Formats: sequence, C-alpha cells, structure tokens
Amino acid sequence: MSANDLSLAEAKTSVFITSPNVRSPARPKNRRAARSHSRRVPDLVLESIVPVTILVIWDLVTRLQWVDPVFMPTPLSVARAFYDLLFKDRLLLDLKVSGITVLEGFTIGAGLGLATGIAAGLSSTVDKLIGSILNSIRQVPPLAFLPLIILWAGAGDTGKIVVVSKAVFFPVFMNTLQGIRSVAREYVEVGRIFEYPRLRMLRKVILPAALPSIFVGIRYGAGMAWFMIIAAEMLGGRHGLGYLLTRAQELLLTDQLLLVIVIIGLIGFSVDVGLRRLERRLLRWKRGFEG
Amino acid sequence: MSTTEAIEVEISGLSKEFDNDGQTVVALDGIELSIKRGEFLTLVGASGCGKTTLLRIIAGLELDYEGEIDLEGIPIRGPGVDKGVVFQDHRLLPWLTVEENVGFGLFRHAEQERRQLIQHYVDLVGLRGFEKAYPNQLSGGMAQRAAIARALVNKPKILVLDEPLGALDAMTRIHMQNEIEKIWRREKVTMVMVTHDVEEAVYLSDTVALMSSRPGRVKKIIPINLARPRNREDPAFQALRKEILTEFQLQTKAQFSYEI
Ligand SMILES: Nc1ncnc2c1ncn2[C@@H]1O[C@H](COP(=O)(O)OP(=O)(O)OP(=O)(O)O)[C@@H](O)[C@H]1O
Ligand SMILES: [Mg+2]
Repeated sequence: MSANDLSLAEAKTSVFITSPNVRSPARPKNRRAARSHSRRVPDLVLESIVPVTILVIWDLVTRLQWVDPVFMPTPLSVARAFYDLLFKDRLLLDLKVSGITVLEGFTIGAGLGLATGIAAGLSSTVDKLIGSILNSIRQVPPLAFLPLIILWAGAGDTGKIVVVSKAVFFPVFMNTLQGIRSVAREYVEVGRIFEYPRLRMLRKVILPAALPSIFVGIRYGAGMAWFMIIAAEMLGGRHGLGYLLTRAQELLLTDQLLLVIVIIGLIGFSVDVGLRRLERRLLRWKRGFEG
Repeated sequence: MSTTEAIEVEISGLSKEFDNDGQTVVALDGIELSIKRGEFLTLVGASGCGKTTLLRIIAGLELDYEGEIDLEGIPIRGPGVDKGVVFQDHRLLPWLTVEENVGFGLFRHAEQERRQLIQHYVDLVGLRGFEKAYPNQLSGGMAQRAAIARALVNKPKILVLDEPLGALDAMTRIHMQNEIEKIWRREKVTMVMVTHDVEEAVYLSDTVALMSSRPGRVKKIIPINLARPRNREDPAFQALRKEILTEFQLQTKAQFSYEI
C-alpha cells in the first residue's frame, strides 16, 4: 500500500513542474430548484392518473347502478352531501373541533416526546430510569386509556387529547432517542475542539445531526395523531369528524359516510405533504436518493 | 525561520495502547519530540504507524496515554481553541454552509468581528463565492480548504493537519501546498502535518519526523535547511527527498516482510 503511495508521490515530481492550473470556482447551482421547475407539471400529471381513474370507475359503476346506491352513492351525491354538510349542517364546526383537539394532543405529545427523547439520549441514567416503564406503556394501545380518562375527567376533550398525545409521544420519543444516540462522535469532537458548552453542543451539533431521525418520528406521529383523534371521536363525544362518521352510520347516510372518509384522507394527506416540504427545507443540506 | 527558538510542544516518553477486543495494540511507544514555536513539522510513516493517534494526543482529543506532553510548558488536558485540528476526513458539519462552518468556532465574538474574520479566512483559502454552499456541494479539495479555514479562525497556537491534501489530485495538491506554506508564513502558527508524500514533506517542513510502525516510534528526525520558497528541481531538494524516501522504503519493507 504505502510503497504504492510512494511511487505515486515520486511520479508526481517529474510530471507536474508547471504552475498548477486550479479550477476557478463557479457558483454552486441550486440543483433541486432547477430540477423541480422543469418537472412540476409532468409530476402533477403522473400523480393524478390513479386517483382520476378511480373517480371515473366509481362514477361509471354507480351511475349505471351496478351497486345499490345505499351501499355506494354516486360521486355527485357525495359532492352534494359536501355542500349540504358544509352550508346547512355542522361540518365546519366538526372540522374545527377535530383540528384543534388533534393539534393540542400533537403539540403535547411531540413536545414531551422530544424532551424525554433528548434527556434519555444524552443520559443513559435517564434512559435506564424511564426506559422500561415507557416501554410497558408503549405496549398499550392509546385508545385503551380512553375509558379510564373519561372516568377521571368526564367525557370532554381531555381523553381525546391524552389518546392523541400518547400516540404521538412514542414515535417522537424513540426516534429522537435513536437519532441522538447515532450522532457521529466525530461531529461532537469538532464541537469539543471549539470548547462548546453543553447547551450549545446540543443546539448546534447534536440536534441538527439527529434532526433527520427526529423528523421521521414527527411525521409518523402526525399520522398516528390523525388516526387516533378520529377513532376517539367515534368512540365517545358529540362532535368531530369521527362523530360525523358514527352519526352517518346510524342514519344510514352513505354519501356522508363516504364524504367524511374522503375529507379525513385529504386532510391527512395535506398534513403529510406539508410536513414533507418542511422536512425538505430544514434538511436541504442532505442530499439523498431522490428516485 | 522563526524569531524565537522557544519550545511549543514537548513530548516525552509518550506511549499509547489500544485495546481491540482484548488484544493490545501498541500504537505509540516512547515518543520523544520537541516542536519549536512557529516550526513546520511533518510526520511521515507507513499506514497504521500511529500518526493520527499522535496528532489526536497533541490536539487533546486522546487523554488516556502514558508519558508527558506539554503545550508551552503546560500539560495538555483536553481539546481547545488553542489547538486547531484539520482531520483526515474534512469533518465539516453537513448542515452548515461554508461560512457557518468556517465561523463555527467564533460564537464568543461580536457579530461584526465574526463576519470580518469569516470573510478573511474564506478569502485566505480561496473560497470566496462559495460562502452559502453546503459541504455536499463542494469538491473534496474545497471541503478540505474550508476545514483549514475553520481551524485557523481562532488563531490557534498550534495547528495539526492529518493528511489534509491526501484526497486531492496532483495539480490541486501542489497548489494547496503553496497555499498552506503561505498561510503558515502569514499566520505564524506552529504546524504539525501528517503526509504520505515525501516530496510534500520536504517542500513544506522545517523538520521531517520519520516514524516506524509496530510499535510506532519516531525513527529519525531530519531537519530541512533549504531556503524558502523551495525549488523542487533543486539538487539539494532532490537529494533530501531521495534520502527520506530510501529511509522510508527500507523501513516499510522491513515492516511488510515481518508481517508476511
Ligand atoms: N480508536 C482506536 N481503537 C483501537 N485501535 C486504534 C484506534 N485508533 C487507532 N488504533 C490503532 O492504532 C494504530 C495506529 O493508528 P493510526 O490511526 O494512528 O495510524 P496512522 O499512522 O494514522 O495510519 P494512516 O496513515 O493509515 O492514517 C493502528 O494499528 C490502529 O489499528
Ligand atoms: Mg491516519
């Protein structure tokens, strides 16, 4: 190996006598911006093919009455249900209730998960203290806590907030812990060389390095939060999108049922897209495989 | 070269062992080395002979060793801003831009001073125009230059460089050798650099320390008393290069025949 290196080093002497002609620096171009610009329209087309096809088939199947409208209403009647529910009924109120409750639960769960994850990630003592109890709690489905909390705090929003926070807490906690544990020691060494105090080391080295992993937890947690608020609303209470589902089922309003399902899906989808954008912004330094 | 002959780093009886799954590896064995203030010293030696380990001990990153090592008469107790480090891999933080990386060690400075220092060192290493680029947008050589700027920005007493030019093509490498010499002259910083390239060592150093491996020892200290800037074609230069190369090859050959 080193004998090779040496003969290479020797070869250089004789070849490069003239003054070196070093690449002149050119402005680094923003690769992603250039690319997504030229591809935005085709992307949209590509992503729409399957949903549009489904819509067309759905319309055909129901319009030709291949299935009973009680089981499967037409897209048009679902759209009408949307209009009715929005302007003559309570859709906005239910959206607001679900949205606020899920935000509260998410904020609490993610905040606690982040804080606990950081603490356990930085100190193995903390990890040992709380690790096994947290792992036990994790095994219990969030909804299993609902009856107990309703017993304690009544059938208000508290139970739902707890269920949502519990569902968000664990993915955020575990991914934060994991992210911090796998921060390269090499980066921490750079901080030590510049005599970074603990807090600054956390803010400037450890958290940024762990951020990709933390974000996985947050995105997954956001999805879980949305599942859980709907499920909790279906189980108890008199408002929220989940309650609309139960009500539509009891009244056999299939068009409303379908409508609410679509709304739930679209909201969850938008939140995930938004989070993904945010992630791309925050992690733009990371150039991964883009497909 | 330097006006003072004061000792910057004094290493005596330095030994370092690693425990690899119960097997003891003697990385360094009884190192004696004095580095003068403002001196440019290079460490040359076969792969695995302990060069990185020695640099890490000088930088205060490795504290578990035997023997003594003083910086300006005071034992080295840990890493710090007085000891700049350029790692074998550039170790820029990927989430920071070039200017943020260069200014990484300047958090105790006022904003205005910070800006000025960053610009000064970005210019010094020829990265003007790349201040906002992320490390993954840089070439290997540019990243290594940014790492040099980051290490210089706190005006360390000593700068250790672990094969800073190892990843560069031959052209850029010669250019960077000139740059490093310029920086060394301008900043008057003591430099300890590891290289595999004997010509590079002769071109840059006041002193070449040739290391042998298993166990890692300083086998020979070779002063390079050639006037600067040096001429690679100069017969005296070539003679020194050959001498070190022969010495080096003898001992690598010995090492490898021993291993096989
Ligand atoms: N952290 C470590 N744990 C265990 N052994 C180590 C460690 N670091 C180095 N060693 C051992 O110490 C010896 C010297 O390693 P070192 O990295 O200092 O070599 P080097 O001279 O820098 O080599 P190279 O030129 O390939 O970079 C090697 O045998 C290596 O296996
Ligand atoms: Mg090394």
